[in-house]
Amino acid sequence: MQIKINNKSYQADEGEPILSVCKRNGIRIPTLCAHPDLLPSEGACRMCLVETNQSKSLVSSCTQKVCKGMEIKTETADVKRARKVNLELLWADHAGKCASCKRNGRCELQNLAEEYKVDEFKFVPRRKELRSENELDLLKDNWSHVAIDEKNPCIARDSEYCIECRRCIRICRDMQTVEAYGMNYRSSKTNVGTPFEIPLDCIFCGQCSAVCPTAAITEKDDIEKFEKALKDPQKMVVVQTAPSVRFTIGEEFGEAPGTFWEGKLVAALKEIGCDKVFDTVLGADLTIIEEAHELIRRIKNRGPFPMFTSCCPSWVLYVEKYYPEFIPNLSTCKSPQQMLAPLVKTYWTQKEKINPEQIVSVSIMPCTSKKYEAQREEINASGHQDVDIVLTIRELARLLRKKKIDPKKLKERKFDPALGISTGAGMLFAQSGGVMEAALRTAVEKITGAELGKVEFEMVRGESGARCAEIDVDGMKLRVAVVHEIRNAKNLLEEIEKGKSDYHFVEVMACPNGCIGGGGQPVPTGPAVRKARIAGVMARDKGMPIRKSHENPVLKKIYKEFLGHPGSEKAEELLHTKYTNRKK
Amino acid sequence: MQILTKNWNKIDPLRIDSYIKTGGYESLRKAIREMTPEKIIEEVKKSGLRGRGGAGFPTGDKWDLAAKTPAKEKYFICNLDESEPGVYKDRTIAEKNPHQIIEGLLIGATAIGAKKAFIYINGYYRKQNEILEIALEQARGKEFIGRSMLGSAIDIEVDIFQGAGAYICGEETALINSVEGNRGEPRLKPPYPPVAGLFGKPTIVNNAETLANVPFIIKRGAKTYSQIGVSGSPGTKLFVLEGAVKKQGIFEAPLGTTAQELIYNSLYGGGMASGKDFLFAQIGGASGRLVTAGKLDQPLAYGAGEYNLGCGSIFVADKSTDLKNLLFSWADFFHRESCGKCVPCREGTYRLWEIAKRIKKNEILKRDKENIEDILWTLSNTTFCPLGNFAAIAWSDAMKMFGKEIFG
Repeated sequence: MQIKINNKSYQADEGEPILSVCKRNGIRIPTLCAHPDLLPSEGACRMCLVETNQSKSLVSSCTQKVCKGMEIKTETADVKRARKVNLELLWADHAGKCASCKRNGRCELQNLAEEYKVDEFKFVPRRKELRSENELDLLKDNWSHVAIDEKNPCIARDSEYCIECRRCIRICRDMQTVEAYGMNYRSSKTNVGTPFEIPLDCIFCGQCSAVCPTAAITEKDDIEKFEKALKDPQKMVVVQTAPSVRFTIGEEFGEAPGTFWEGKLVAALKEIGCDKVFDTVLGADLTIIEEAHELIRRIKNRGPFPMFTSCCPSWVLYVEKYYPEFIPNLSTCKSPQQMLAPLVKTYWTQKEKINPEQIVSVSIMPCTSKKYEAQREEINASGHQDVDIVLTIRELARLLRKKKIDPKKLKERKFDPALGISTGAGMLFAQSGGVMEAALRTAVEKITGAELGKVEFEMVRGESGARCAEIDVDGMKLRVAVVHEIRNAKNLLEEIEKGKSDYHFVEVMACPNGCIGGGGQPVPTGPAVRKARIAGVMARDKGMPIRKSHENPVLKKIYKEFLGHPGSEKAEELLHTKYTNRKK
Repeated sequence: MQILTKNWNKIDPLRIDSYIKTGGYESLRKAIREMTPEKIIEEVKKSGLRGRGGAGFPTGDKWDLAAKTPAKEKYFICNLDESEPGVYKDRTIAEKNPHQIIEGLLIGATAIGAKKAFIYINGYYRKQNEILEIALEQARGKEFIGRSMLGSAIDIEVDIFQGAGAYICGEETALINSVEGNRGEPRLKPPYPPVAGLFGKPTIVNNAETLANVPFIIKRGAKTYSQIGVSGSPGTKLFVLEGAVKKQGIFEAPLGTTAQELIYNSLYGGGMASGKDFLFAQIGGASGRLVTAGKLDQPLAYGAGEYNLGCGSIFVADKSTDLKNLLFSWADFFHRESCGKCVPCREGTYRLWEIAKRIKKNEILKRDKENIEDILWTLSNTTFCPLGNFAAIAWSDAMKMFGKEIFG
């Protein structure tokens, strides 16, 4: 249908919200609670109000659907006043500590305040307006109830920054089905929080921190620990970077999503003083070799099926907490981070004759949950904590900015070759479907003993939340599925419980589109951003000289010199793990 | 004409027989045995009965919508959340004649085909809750409630749901959220409750006073009913008179009666209390407009005139009223009762309350006047639900009338 916006005609679909038509046509409407991953919108922030000829009052464009003959005005005096007053009200309630804030420069509230020239706390009395000391309580006293959570390893919460937009509540409830958050209290004391304000007890996927418009929910900051290690002359800082990091870190420095920044990333890490920079993709290749081996073993032993991937710590935690009956179905393989790290502290230190005590193992991850994974009690295969510090991409970028390092200006550098040669298969771990495709490239060759004519398994690619395929391997029908976002995983688990699905191998990633949409990725996120990131990954896999994990020359050498063969006793000890029933 | 208060103090609310003796439950019997659901709705539509909660939506149309929405389950809820400061009409009906509400509720549930009905009662109404519990128990004993009611094929179960005393839960979608066990917050509309309400099923939420009118309509017919009151707003209404009048309390009067009459007629308020000079009347609870002496002669009816009768309360302020305290009490109430969902209401009522505190203490800042204007404007124009608009009504009028006095 045709509608009019600011006196110009536009095409709109039946039932489409006004906001979506405006966005598509580049008509700017400010929003704080609406988010492309959270549809339909709830209309809580009242920033997106517009005037229409259908109603006397202003309407929220995120919830109001278009109708025939609708005429919309997005910049009238009333609309502007509504935005400004509501923004000023929010601003008055906000911490207002921008300069020291983690999200400085990347805060949606700050951006709007700038756009609408909100530069003072209009509704808060100023010190000079007070007539005596005992009027001090007139100053910003509405923080009487501030919830701060520092008692979990991954997510930092400080409600002083919170604008009660509820994105966190909705993403946790609607996308992840975990429902860790809810609203507490009423009126001006209304607060996002956990039940009875217990420390966050969830799967730590960090999607809440990825959609939070301000710094109310952020990754737990481990920059200080990292800096301390860098400064310590006794310590050798060995860092690894996850597959997806190189495709997204550029966004923190103004590049488009999906820009391949591997060389810049390595250069930046060396620039801040890391001694060695290794590639988690090698860990991913190792995961594939071990996982393919495990799959083949399960096929021989006729189960238990399906085998679930275990490289996503949020997914593992979800199974442990909510569906422990599926623990035997989780692959015993550790994640790439946790496979590469013990190799660093055993194989590599032995080779280089370094005392592993001296090593500080750091990983740069797109993920908040990896902070938790590194601290899992059963993961210390090297005899030490395998990974000492986990930083999300956002933290690394923050540190680089703090140190005034602009990767754009640095000359590209290569990973340290000892643990830095990787394949296209490992690179695919960056996105949903990647582990599956990489595993198939190896498993199918191992089972058939013949080389694959075509390495791409397009049937497991794509963006839909749940995809499945049947692959003919030497007459055996291998049924596989790929799901991302916990809501889809939960559906699958329920189907399996009811006996409606019988897959052999299932890849699960907790975050939308996998790690490329991880909770530690740069903001803003959304389907369009992730699509661009995925395109970057796919292009890179295509251009890689080696595209199958088992053909990784470094790994071949490591198996020969150190591990023996896939599934060997040493491999079991270093590369496999066990799980715990954590159901309450 | 008395419909609602006729038997007050004549019957024993704790004994169903005393209600039955006055002809109670005959309407329910008639509705079940002699009328089809369509006929009941038709009758209520023809009567012109409008919702007594304040909005004045035609009750029959609402029922019709729920009846025509196909669904396996439907719900009927009596709204007895009444939490407007100084309003106690619904509470008093429940106390004086609980079966009148229950009978209306059962007729409504029969009409829309609901098997489950609730009385959503304000959690502070302990005594009324007990009375209703007893009334329901006795009605069950007489087969007015339960399986095969009065030997028919109709099953209706009625339960009392105690709210937590939140003002916002008087708004029907917030009330529904509350019954579902969720936070009492308004929902996005549409869908409207008669289409998708409690647990997503067609649901009618009617004010207790509205329902108390229904037995009369069924018994005496729509025509008789529609002749009471004025065209467009038939029937009688309970008015609550408070403040500087001689007689305070609840008075039943036909719709269309003016505030002038209600305040000064000896049948009702009986004039100003001795020694008090009229300043203004606030009509419709804390969210009501302030009406000056010259404008009291407007008939109080739905959708007519400069001000609404709202829930029907009239608070009379006199010249000795402490305006600053009054402003504070309004701001305090709406600040406390904001559910916190949308920005203008959550933050706006809070800042207004802060300013009201300053006004009370004579510590007004220079910028406060401009800030009040901004807050009242945003509350009136940008909030998610009407609570925000309500919060601004009395303040806006007060600023117009007494702004100079307050700010000098």
